[in-house]
Amino acid sequence: MGKTGQPLEAAWTGGRRAATGSGLLFPLLLLAGPAFFLLLFFYYPLGSVLVGGLTDQSGRISLAVISALLRDPYYLKIIGFTVWQAILSTLLSVLLGLPGAYLLARYDFRGKRLIQALTTIPFVLPSIIVVLGFVRFFGNNGVLNRLLMALFGLEEPALKVLYSLKAILLAHSFYNFPIVVRIVSSLWRRIHPSTEEAARSLGAHGFRLFWRVTLPQILPGILSAAALVFIFCLLSFAIVLVLGGGPRYSTLEVEVYRLAKVSLDLKTGSALALVGAVISLVFLYAYIKLQQQSSFAEQMLEDYERPRLASLLRSPWGMFYLLYLLLMAVVILAPMVTVVAYSFQVRSGWGQQAVSLEWYRRIFSGGAYLRAGLNSLFFGTMTVLLALPLGTLLAYVGSRSRFAGSQLLEALMMLPIGISSIILGLGYLKAYQSFPWNIVGSWYAIVFAHTVIAYPFVIRVASATFRKMKPSLPEAARSLGAGPWQLFWHLELPLARSALITGAAFAFGISVGEVNATLMLYNEKLVTIPVMIYRLIGSYNFIGACAMGSVLMLFCFLVFLIIDRAGGEV
Amino acid sequence: MGLRIQSIQKVYPEFRLQLDFEVRQGEFLALLGPSGCGKTTTLRLIAGFIDPDSGSLHMNGRRIDTLPAHRRRIGIVFQDYSLFPHLNVRDNIGFGLRMQGWGSKDAKERIEELLRLVSLKEYGKRKVTRLSGGEQQRVALARALAPRPQLLLLDEPLSALDAKLRKNLRKEILRVQRELSITTLYVTHDQEEALVLGDRIAVMRDGHIEQIDTPKRIYNRPRNLFVATFLGQANIIRGRLAKREGELAVVQTPVGTLRVSPSQAEEFGASDEVIVFFRPEHCQMGGTKTNRINGRVVQKEYLGSHQLIEVESNGARFTLDLADRVTLVTGDTISFSVSPHHCCLFLQ
Repeated sequence: MGKTGQPLEAAWTGGRRAATGSGLLFPLLLLAGPAFFLLLFFYYPLGSVLVGGLTDQSGRISLAVISALLRDPYYLKIIGFTVWQAILSTLLSVLLGLPGAYLLARYDFRGKRLIQALTTIPFVLPSIIVVLGFVRFFGNNGVLNRLLMALFGLEEPALKVLYSLKAILLAHSFYNFPIVVRIVSSLWRRIHPSTEEAARSLGAHGFRLFWRVTLPQILPGILSAAALVFIFCLLSFAIVLVLGGGPRYSTLEVEVYRLAKVSLDLKTGSALALVGAVISLVFLYAYIKLQQQSSFAEQMLEDYERPRLASLLRSPWGMFYLLYLLLMAVVILAPMVTVVAYSFQVRSGWGQQAVSLEWYRRIFSGGAYLRAGLNSLFFGTMTVLLALPLGTLLAYVGSRSRFAGSQLLEALMMLPIGISSIILGLGYLKAYQSFPWNIVGSWYAIVFAHTVIAYPFVIRVASATFRKMKPSLPEAARSLGAGPWQLFWHLELPLARSALITGAAFAFGISVGEVNATLMLYNEKLVTIPVMIYRLIGSYNFIGACAMGSVLMLFCFLVFLIIDRAGGEV
Repeated sequence: MGLRIQSIQKVYPEFRLQLDFEVRQGEFLALLGPSGCGKTTTLRLIAGFIDPDSGSLHMNGRRIDTLPAHRRRIGIVFQDYSLFPHLNVRDNIGFGLRMQGWGSKDAKERIEELLRLVSLKEYGKRKVTRLSGGEQQRVALARALAPRPQLLLLDEPLSALDAKLRKNLRKEILRVQRELSITTLYVTHDQEEALVLGDRIAVMRDGHIEQIDTPKRIYNRPRNLFVATFLGQANIIRGRLAKREGELAVVQTPVGTLRVSPSQAEEFGASDEVIVFFRPEHCQMGGTKTNRINGRVVQKEYLGSHQLIEVESNGARFTLDLADRVTLVTGDTISFSVSPHHCCLFLQ
């Protein structure tokens, strides 16, 4: 009816005729810089991986490398395991997350805000910290085992989870279940309990009520969360690399890394990367589709009264939820607390209770550790400076204009989410080691890689805000004389402020915690905190790793605080 | 002068908008119609948010449809106010001034002037998110008026407010419009608003204007059945034109012979199928011999100052708007009449 829909007209100036010369020019102008950057530092490297995987040794196009790979039982096993562990991890995360989503959506309790904030953790906590925390908490020599041994007078560690599928699954689901809590509860909250009340008045109750009425409504949220978790687990690197503990539990990512950095076989690496990319892109596509679905409910946000949590805890189900809450708190907090606590030890070995700042003294007295810290800060800052404008502009154009192919453009923009940073690093190695110039081993290669990894998250945060803006606001501004630039500067940018702060914090957090691409691209001068932690774990220096980890967690905590304060939607 | 909308056409897959009308200089034109008739689209076309497929817009003789929205100098008040949430009251009002390059001293004076105009003198520093609906609407009005637009568009500005506030604010809007004598187009689906506010009313249906006239003539002399039934309550009865008696047309209907003084008598030929229309408040109990209708009371609605009586007569139903003191009970047989010059005639 024309009230809202004017599909083919760009919304900038009122369209075709009224535009007189500035119709598509403005968005194109905004897009030029980002497009140039992405072309050089994302699509070109990605393309060279593609070419690498699809050509034979003499450079002719051929499927030989890939088909050889797909016939090799060793690689088939790796592909199978990659998908299998991701499926299991996703299922576990969803199962762990659903009760939490229910509690957050339907009940009020003291500390709810804090718990809500804690669900941002997977987005800001670097995976290397998870690894470290797990080793120290669940490890054979870790807190849990020592506690159990002391309690029950055991000679042997009671739980042997490290370096096994169990460890990978445990770490993945711990790391990712808050994502499920977050996404599902935000949808669940928007569903007014009146539908359930209506169903109850019609005789539905208990499991049937959930199955027939509630589940169908929250299903888009569950699926979209599951798809996201699945992608994360598919592309997970550090967790598998360390906790998998060897070739037995290798995934595509880890194998690509080994091929590129250890065997120096970029060709097989490229082919394997290609296979991985295809798998993850299929799921990325599913995720984007599902996300569009779940946004229906956003219009129905109407607040309603929620019962206090205490009323649930007193009910027959109370014990279950109480146990759940306790377990979650332990699972989330314990590894992190362990890392911090352990960093104050003098020497390895839990028996000695000596508390010491020895490692912090070493870090701040200069040398390699301090340099790693400064490098991380520098990369983080540069990444924010690049990723923020990049993501903001893309989000702005993406949410403001609809033209033929804009959906494709959106998919292209979000592509880095589905392309692992290992592949990105591999691409840089392939594309820029010789021609046109060698950027591998330079600080800006790492910054560019971090930017490519971080900007989709800026887009995610920013476009949510741009899309939520009532269309009548820019219209009001235009009727008051604001041209396209003024509209952007004086209205849309200020309105997106908190989202942009959130986006910037995100970009910083991602850069500071990034280990995959950095491992592919760094040299001795460019060691970052996560790389340092990885190396310290490799040499079994856990106190040092925990001290560096605590510093990293401090950065991430600041990021977390900023995100929480800014209140942008994640 | 004023706004001239010339042969504007806009085609949608299931809807076609065709417009050709004028808002005179300083006039308050109310654009009235049911939802989905294209009122808002019309407004957005004029504002420059949508382009027409053909036709042109002229403001004070100058063509404006070729200009982008931000150069048209048209003030708009939106249904949901659409105040800028990141700015306070003063900066909201000053937004347009800033965009159009006013000096800060002039802008400051202008903002004060407008705060006074909409009686929000003390509100300058308030956050707009802390204002009541009525206050927000005043700010929206002030913001639209601040840069001295050539035309003011209002899109159902009162529909989100409660009934009492609505009445107060519409007086306020009218006062401001008169004070500035700004050319105004006011979109509404509320007939009472249109009647109270409009110098003229344009009644719209399915993308075109059915009638554009003064409120009095629209109400009393609707051009067709749609206008007649859309505004106010209507009694209609189908019949056949029998003959003429001087000025009057004589119509045979199931409830007897009715005499009508049609406004456009020449449009009707002998034995045309017609519809006779009259308003409930023009019905009198008893009354004259002409146009007397007998019937039985089937329903009563008591409305305080008056009452609506529903009467059934030979399969037809009529509504009578009577004073409270008349006492009637369901089932009573009554007769009422309506004078010929209160009746209108439409072709079936």
